[in-house]
Amino acid sequence: MFVLNPQSGTPIYRQLMDQVRRLVASGQLAPGTPLPSVRELALEHAVNPMTISKAYHLLELEGVLVRNRGKPMTVAARSPRAAPRAQRRKQLQADIRQLVFAARQLELDKEDVVALIEENWEDENAGSGRQRRKT
Amino acid sequence: MPEAVVSAERLSKSFGAKEVLREITAIAEPGDVIGVLGKNGAGKTTLLEVLLGFGPPTSGTARLFGEESMRLSERAKARIGFVPQQDELIDMLTGEQQLKLTSVFYRSWDRELARRLISEWEIPMDRTIRKLSPGERQKLALVLALGHRPDLLVLDEPVASLDPIARRAFLKQLLDVTGSENRTVLFSSHIVSDLERAANKVWILKHGELIWQGELDALKESVVRLHVRGRRKLTGSLGIPNALSERVHGTHATVAVASWDPRDEARLAARLDADVEAEPLGLEDIFVELHAGR
Repeated sequence: MFVLNPQSGTPIYRQLMDQVRRLVASGQLAPGTPLPSVRELALEHAVNPMTISKAYHLLELEGVLVRNRGKPMTVAARSPRAAPRAQRRKQLQADIRQLVFAARQLELDKEDVVALIEENWEDENAGSGRQRRKT
Repeated sequence: MPEAVVSAERLSKSFGAKEVLREITAIAEPGDVIGVLGKNGAGKTTLLEVLLGFGPPTSGTARLFGEESMRLSERAKARIGFVPQQDELIDMLTGEQQLKLTSVFYRSWDRELARRLISEWEIPMDRTIRKLSPGERQKLALVLALGHRPDLLVLDEPVASLDPIARRAFLKQLLDVTGSENRTVLFSSHIVSDLERAANKVWILKHGELIWQGELDALKESVVRLHVRGRRKLTGSLGIPNALSERVHGTHATVAVASWDPRDEARLAARLDADVEAEPLGLEDIFVELHAGR
C-alpha cells in the first residue's frame, strides 16, 4: 500500500504521513479502514518501527487516524467524503515544485514535462491504479 | 527521563601519542537503535570497545546501565550482547558445539529463539566453523549474541560480509528482535543504506570527534542542499550561515547547509536576488557533505 524509500532525503515518517494523507484525502482509504500495525509495516519495509509509530502518532494528532485500544489504528470518521479538490491540489504542490525545478535544471520545457506526465499517467492507469481503487 | 543504557561523558582515548577519541559525550536510551557512522579510522571500533569496558578511557567516563564500564557487575554483563568485527568463534568446533558452549554461560538463554534464527538464516550447524563461509560465521556470531536476549546489543560492522539479500534479512531480524522489547542497539557500519533503514538515531564520528548525534529524521531535516539561481552573476562567497560546502558557477550555486530552517528561504532569496530551492539529502550525501573541506 505504501512506498517507502529510506535513501530519500525526506525522512521515512514524512513519506508515510504524506501517503496516508493523500490516500485519505482522495477517499481511497475510507473512514474506519484499519491500517497495518507498526510492526507489520516496519518488518515489511525493514525500517525502524519507531519511525512508523512516529508517523502514526503525528497523524493521530492531526486527526487523520484514530487509535483504538488493542486494535489497529483506523482512518478517522471526520470526513465522510473525500477532501475538496482545492485541498487535494494543495497537497501536490511541494512535489510539483520539485518536478518543475528538476525539469528546469534539465532544460526541459513545459510540453516535455506534460508529455511525460501523460505517459506515466497511462501506465499508472493500466497497472496498479485499477487495483488500488478497490481498497 | 529513562535511565541511559549507554552514556559517555567527555570520553577521550589515546594510544600513546595518538588521540583516537576526543571528548565524546553521548547517551543511548532504552529502545534506541543507534548507527555509529564514520570513515575507516574515525574511531568507531575504539568507541564501542571503550564503552564496553574492554579498555579504560584516557579521560572521561563510560557507563553501561549506570555502572562504570571497567567495573561492570556480572548482572550488567549478562545484559549485553556483542559481536566484534572479527568474530571469536572457535574454528575447530562445529556450530552445534559452539552453540552449546556459549549457551551454558547464560541463565537466560532462549533456546527457541536461537533455533528459530538458525533455521531462518540457514546456518549449517553440523559443519566445523573453519569450513563456514564468512557470511555464515557472521550469522552464527549474531545468533550467539542474541540468544540470551540482551538488553543492549553492540555490533561492530555486523553486516560487512553479508550479501545484500542476507543483509536485508538480517536487518529484519534485528528490527524484529529489538523493536518488540525495548532493546537498545548500538551498531557501527560504513554501509550507510543499512544504517538509514534500521537506525532511529545516528552518531557521526570524524577524526575521533562526535560531530553529530541525534535523531536521523532531524539530521535529514536540518542538512539540505540549496540550489540558488541568481538573476545576475553570483560572485564570491554567498555568506550563507552554516554552509558546509559551496560551489558557484555563474548565475547558479549549490550550497550544502547544516541547521537549515525552511523559514530562511524567503529571506535568503531576497538578499541574493535569486530563486532558492532546498533539496533534502539522503544520509550518504549528508555524510559526504559533513566531511567536505576541513
